[in-house]
Amino acid sequence: MSIVTFEKVSRVYKSGDHELKALDNVDLLLEEGKFVVILGPSGAGKSTLLNLLGGLDSPTGGKITVDGKDISTLNDNELAEYRAAKVGFVFQFYNLVPTLTVYENVALLKEIAPDALDPKKMLEEVGLADHMKNFPAQLSGGEQQRVSIARALAKNPKILLCDEPTGALDSETGVLVLKLLLSMARNYGKTIVIVTHNQNIAKMADVVIRVKNGKIQSCEEQIKPMDADEVEW
Amino acid sequence: MLLRKLFRTAWKYKAQFISMIIMVAIGIGVFIGFNMEWYSLKKDIGAFLSETNYADYRLFSDQGFLADDIDAIKDIDGVKQATRVVSVNVDVKDENKSLALFVLEEYTVSTMYVMDGADYDEKSDGFWLSDKYAAANNIKLGDTLTVTYRNEEISGEVVGLVKSGEFMICVADGNQLMPDFSSFGFLYASPEKIKSALGGFIFYPQINVISDLNKEQMEESVKSALGKTTLVLSKNEHVSYAAAQSEIEEGQTMVSVLPVLFLLIGVLTMITTMHRITSNEKTQIGTLKALGFKNERILRHYTAYGLFIGIVGAILGVALGCGICAFIINPNGMQGTYFDMPSWELHAPWWTWLLLVGVITFLMLISFLSVKKMLKGTAADALRPFTPKRVKPLAVEKTRLWERMSFATKWNLRDVFRHKTRSIMTLVGIIGCMVLLVGGLGIRDTMSSMLDTLDNQILNYETKVNFTETVTNEQAIAFAEKYNGDYLASQSVQVNGDPIILEVYSIKHDTVRFTDINNKAISLEGNGAYISLRIADKGIKIGDTISISPYGSEEYYEIKVVGILRSFQSESIMMRVEYADSVGIPYTVSSVFVNAQPSSLESADFVSGTQTKSAIMDSYNSFVEILNTMVLMIIIAAVVLGVVVLYNLGVMSYVERYRELATLKVVGFKNKHIGRILIGQNIWLSVLGIIIGLPAGVGVLYLLITMLASEYELKMTLGIATYCISILLTFGVSLVVSLFVSRKNKKIDMVEALKGAE
Repeated sequence: MSIVTFEKVSRVYKSGDHELKALDNVDLLLEEGKFVVILGPSGAGKSTLLNLLGGLDSPTGGKITVDGKDISTLNDNELAEYRAAKVGFVFQFYNLVPTLTVYENVALLKEIAPDALDPKKMLEEVGLADHMKNFPAQLSGGEQQRVSIARALAKNPKILLCDEPTGALDSETGVLVLKLLLSMARNYGKTIVIVTHNQNIAKMADVVIRVKNGKIQSCEEQIKPMDADEVEW
Repeated sequence: MLLRKLFRTAWKYKAQFISMIIMVAIGIGVFIGFNMEWYSLKKDIGAFLSETNYADYRLFSDQGFLADDIDAIKDIDGVKQATRVVSVNVDVKDENKSLALFVLEEYTVSTMYVMDGADYDEKSDGFWLSDKYAAANNIKLGDTLTVTYRNEEISGEVVGLVKSGEFMICVADGNQLMPDFSSFGFLYASPEKIKSALGGFIFYPQINVISDLNKEQMEESVKSALGKTTLVLSKNEHVSYAAAQSEIEEGQTMVSVLPVLFLLIGVLTMITTMHRITSNEKTQIGTLKALGFKNERILRHYTAYGLFIGIVGAILGVALGCGICAFIINPNGMQGTYFDMPSWELHAPWWTWLLLVGVITFLMLISFLSVKKMLKGTAADALRPFTPKRVKPLAVEKTRLWERMSFATKWNLRDVFRHKTRSIMTLVGIIGCMVLLVGGLGIRDTMSSMLDTLDNQILNYETKVNFTETVTNEQAIAFAEKYNGDYLASQSVQVNGDPIILEVYSIKHDTVRFTDINNKAISLEGNGAYISLRIADKGIKIGDTISISPYGSEEYYEIKVVGILRSFQSESIMMRVEYADSVGIPYTVSSVFVNAQPSSLESADFVSGTQTKSAIMDSYNSFVEILNTMVLMIIIAAVVLGVVVLYNLGVMSYVERYRELATLKVVGFKNKHIGRILIGQNIWLSVLGIIIGLPAGVGVLYLLITMLASEYELKMTLGIATYCISILLTFGVSLVVSLFVSRKNKKIDMVEALKGAE
């Protein structure tokens, strides 16, 4: 069953007379529960794709349907509701609220997400039960990213969107975070979309989408994705 | 190239730059304006008084001074010039107006300043009339004016329109607070003119003296020259000089409160804002450093920001200051309704320019120090973005209460404590706004309550009839009884060497009332004397016995103080005739209070003039108008202060928390939700600021009233409306500004904010 469909989606940035087509007539179909990696060089449009999917941005043309709902015409408030209910984010730079403790950063979601999960349980699952009262700045990068994973999943979203989740981490930590991310996503049965330019991550994916110049170059399904341990980092 | 960067940065942070410039300009403007105000007043008044040979001393004698007396005074070592003077109030014929008639035996002391027409001529048959009275009554040069004095008509042609230091504050008597040229002015005439009108003889009850002697020496010299104690009033006790001095002192006290507050807030705004800007610019600073710019060069560049703001702020501030000053120091402005003088030039004290240099230097120092902090360490360190202080758990977090708090409360609490400077500045802005409002509106309440008491409680007569010095007590009392009136005998007495007015009242018909220090009406008992609050402030208590001696007499009388009264105009000792009789103090009735209009009263040659209650109350109108203008200015200042400070902080905090807010937005918080959280924080701070600001405002008001105590015996009064308006306006300003700032939430670009290193 498809959870995400893009129909002739375009995103054009205008500045003065200058037009930049970040996405150009893109069609895309993602199935529920799959691990999708979007690959491409910088400036190819992969982040735009992710932003549109996450409801951080609206397309200038075309239609995006997520979980049966058209999100391309939503206003600011409806988009906020969509983000609160349907998507979890994991960013390269974690983006935790520095003035809230680890626990509070996750518990925060109870305010807005209708199906939020127990923050304590989520933090235990990412192995941070002992750090709940710490502030983000007191944690290492890997630990912060684990908080951000717990936060993304605590929302109990349909889709998990990750923008270079290991980009700011050393490779050893990166692998650990990635393994955690995948196992959590699989346990909770989430669709997971990772945007990266790291070819190695792509080896583990169910579906690999290559983006270039605002267009989708290829979309291939991998019958036998590799396990994180099999990949040579 | 870096200069171009300065202007671009200024443009990028335009809200911050504009608010810094506004605050610096307001601070400098108010400071310079208020300092110029009293300084210009001092200069202009000083020039005017010395030009018209304003007398240093005035000698008074009820019996009049003889030709021998003036010669004896002139012979005193240290007396430069002296002349006998007639200064009496005369009525304008067929009009309910009066003029002070001023006659100089020799035209040497207390001369006039001719605005139009002829110079003084001792042989002239004409009058020199106050130009303001002439303008208010449509009298021109060449017109004929007739006045009545002791039932004698004196007519003359108006040959000159003049001003005089002697009448710089042209009031009929102590009852009149503000000049009202439509009903009272002054008039100079030559002794020849008066002599012929009064039948060849002039009675001179006053001598004006120019001398460098101090008051004690003067009194001693006069006593030995004339062979008796004589009432000697120094210029400090004469209305023109005394009012000018207290006006100047008032200006100086104001300078020490209001402008300092504004300047302080200006500097604080500068410190917090500059720190924020350099924190935000840290990566740029690092880039410059990495490019190979030397620290010195970068420091110079950022110090130039302070210079830029300082110079623009100073230019605007000086303009604003001159504007404020010109508004007050202006023949038609606030002081113009009080002082009647020819020149209204603005002067700035030399040290205000020093202050300007100081402020600009200080602003440069602020920028210098805030960027210096960012430059510490290697270029790589500088390149790393500014890391705000680490969050420490608050004490409250250890309590159970913390667990029950909503996310918004927790977030706001931490935010407030994490950004202490910003929170304190917000509080300072709100407190400042509140203090100005409570102080300004409170002064108005206090003054109008004073006028209300005067109108409804104290003055219970229609007309006050003043008598000449030649009236006998029998005549006066008969006059009073005829109209069911009460009478007053007022004279100067000496208490510990100071002249004080002794008022002896006969009150049978309730025409005059008295108020105690709580503004409650009380009636005088006949068993002792009452002193006004200003005398009590000198350390005299109820139950004390004080010794008084009327001028011109060697007798001393012991009187017992039985009460303290609030007297609105003068420092005085009050008592009933019964007590004066029992102690044996001699008195001559000086006025009668009656419930009849002046036109219905019989004319008698011992009546020197009349004053209606409505005329007295009307004379306060211009004073009330001035007060209202001032209060309006203060309210505007309060709102500008509140808006600028809060808006600047709001925008700054929004820039500072951009990523945090973007994160909340990404996670799914709606704009309104985030707005509510931010506004919630402002509401808390506003409530706290108001709670602190309210008593602070009352305190400042109390301080102001205490400082004004030498002029008015005011009882601090605050109406419910003042509290409501102050709270609502302050709260309103804070709420509107935060609503305005929170609208920016919509503009947070989530995608942009999430990029870049943390």
